Amino acid sequence: MKTKKLMALTMAAVMGASLLTACGGGDAGTTTAAAGGDESGIQPVTITFWHGMNNKQEQSLTELTNKFNAENEYGITVELVNQGSYSDLQTKLMANAAADTLPDMAQAYNNYFTDYVDKVVALDDFVKNDYPDWDDILESYRTENSEYGKITGVPFNKSTYLFFYNKTMFDELGLTAPKTWDDLKHIGEVIKEKKDLAAIGYDSMCDMLEAALRQHGEQYVDETGALFNTAGGLETVQFIMDLYNNGYARLVGEDNYFSDSLSNGMIGGYVGSSTGVSYISTDIPGKEFELGVAPVVGDVKNAAYNAGTNLVMFSKDANKQKAVWEYMKFITSKESTLKWAMDTGYLPIRTSAYESDEWKNFMAQDITAQAAYEQSPYGFVSKASFTGSNEIRSVVSTTLNELITEKADAQTALDTLVAAINDVLE
Amino acid sequence: MKRKSFKGYAYLAPVLVIMLVFTAYPLVKAIFMSFCENYSIINGSHKGINLENYKDLFEDKLFIRALGNTTLYVAFVVPLSVVISLVIANLLNSNIKFQGLFQTLYFLPYVTSVIAIGVVWRWIMNSNYGLLNYILGFFGIGPIGWLSDPKYSMTSLIIFAVWKSLAFNIMIFLAALQGISPDLYAAARVDATPRLRVFFKITVPAMMPIIAYAFIMGIISAFKVYNEVFSLFNSKAGPVNNEAITIVYYIYDQFYNNYKYGIAAAGSVVLFLLIMLFTMIQRLPGRIKAKKEAAQK
Repeated sequence: MKTKKLMALTMAAVMGASLLTACGGGDAGTTTAAAGGDESGIQPVTITFWHGMNNKQEQSLTELTNKFNAENEYGITVELVNQGSYSDLQTKLMANAAADTLPDMAQAYNNYFTDYVDKVVALDDFVKNDYPDWDDILESYRTENSEYGKITGVPFNKSTYLFFYNKTMFDELGLTAPKTWDDLKHIGEVIKEKKDLAAIGYDSMCDMLEAALRQHGEQYVDETGALFNTAGGLETVQFIMDLYNNGYARLVGEDNYFSDSLSNGMIGGYVGSSTGVSYISTDIPGKEFELGVAPVVGDVKNAAYNAGTNLVMFSKDANKQKAVWEYMKFITSKESTLKWAMDTGYLPIRTSAYESDEWKNFMAQDITAQAAYEQSPYGFVSKASFTGSNEIRSVVSTTLNELITEKADAQTALDTLVAAINDVLE
Repeated sequence: MKRKSFKGYAYLAPVLVIMLVFTAYPLVKAIFMSFCENYSIINGSHKGINLENYKDLFEDKLFIRALGNTTLYVAFVVPLSVVISLVIANLLNSNIKFQGLFQTLYFLPYVTSVIAIGVVWRWIMNSNYGLLNYILGFFGIGPIGWLSDPKYSMTSLIIFAVWKSLAFNIMIFLAALQGISPDLYAAARVDATPRLRVFFKITVPAMMPIIAYAFIMGIISAFKVYNEVFSLFNSKAGPVNNEAITIVYYIYDQFYNNYKYGIAAAGSVVLFLLIMLFTMIQRLPGRIKAKKEAAQK
């Protein structure tokens, strides 16, 4: 009896305590940089970094972070917390933004925090006072991180969409990698006729549409709605629907990514992330082939979709903010970004890194890095800093899937897409 | 007397506190949120208190589809699962070899993660290299795009879900079977009663309370289906455009991906009302019976 009482008491005490601490988490602080750029007197501190990196990407990040922890002069310790996949990271960040228990820093796409951008620390002062070579960072990444009217982050794991293809099949049919929309149609015709296969597929439908529009000199979407309800927009949609309706392109279906189809010789090529190359197997018995990698096609313009997250700061504590900034400087340095890119298949974020001998030597043996470098001058990042941007991504993808399944004509497809996008923003 | 009840409440207090914080409060909050136009989870701001969310909800074709799919799912999965597990439980209860092994095998789906099972089933149902199409190929059927053809999305989901839900039902049915008095069966054997008749006249009536329980629990959990969709279609709700979307999936999508917290809350209130309605209907026969018995006394 006595022990029971004791247990009940202890349990009640423990629960009471945990409730109290749970409520005590949100201290009232500012979300602006306290003393941006003044690195003097950082007290030893541990900062938490939420990320969504796995396998060899996580391994490389851990190595970099261990190096920082061992070598920084302030006694800063960065604690990496793996939150699973991007979508897990996104939902956890949102839930913690609501509870006011965000980590000190995290990986994030701009569309993660459309609803809580005021909780993201503005880095403008840090950049101005304590980042000597901000201009060395590629322009599209600087633009992306300034979309909200303040600098919300520093670029981190950046990738680009490339054309991966079965070079053995292309050689056999006398084809080379397509450079233009017309090349692509021609390749589609030949592969359809000779092999009865689709020549191309796209891992991400919404990104494909935006890239195609930009290649045709059109605009995609902003906070006011769809911008491609134009003659050029119709031509673009016509081009896309023709590819699918003629069987030159196909949907990914149940596989989610085309890497398996390419590995099994079930498609000529596909457009997917430069980091996806590790998922392509070229040595399945009886299906061996040589892999080719090329920049994506262009039309009146060249445009290549860039993806990948940035690092953002949430910490409200002035000392921690300075510590996070030290780490951000370290991780975006030329040495770090080079190591990171060579380890993982992501791309360097600095011009100086691209031009370094290390990278040139690396590219000589890495066809993916070569193709990525070739299209780096015309890379773009989709605008994501407005409410509804995340929903538009999924709506455009599913609507396109449905239109293609129904073999819709171009005008219907255009009208449906425009209506679906505008419906989200209403 | 009073002292005693105080002690009782003291013992209940921890659980009550947890229930209040994690069940009652979210429930009230969700109902409140569902009436707030453009509610923001981050700072609690909203444009006004009205029925806008409910209007948007019922004007959304996707929600209507989610309602239809969920109803279809409940209507097929629950009865199929109960009937099949009743048969399997009876077979497992008869004197077969390796009884223990089979009981373990049939129970495995219950203790395995749905996500892991989903990976396996995605492979079984793959249209190009799947096991199911391989077997069907021997009979000249297919290949069927179980997971790639929108026409089959709900069928595939229901097959998967029935298989997944068998385990729990088989377990509780087995327990119930072992509770039936052997005397009844002995008496039936003396009369040389046919086996089918024994099943319908002795086994089924004796198990009626547990079958009813399986139905109620089955319907409640079927209305809340989400994991099965998420894992079978690899974190989507169907191959093309949300063909297999369910109410909970819709709520999740609105909340976490589209940041429409108020509409998500309204969806969950609708789901709550639906489940409450069905539970009340199901409890009706029991209540009427209890009243009759009380009247007879």
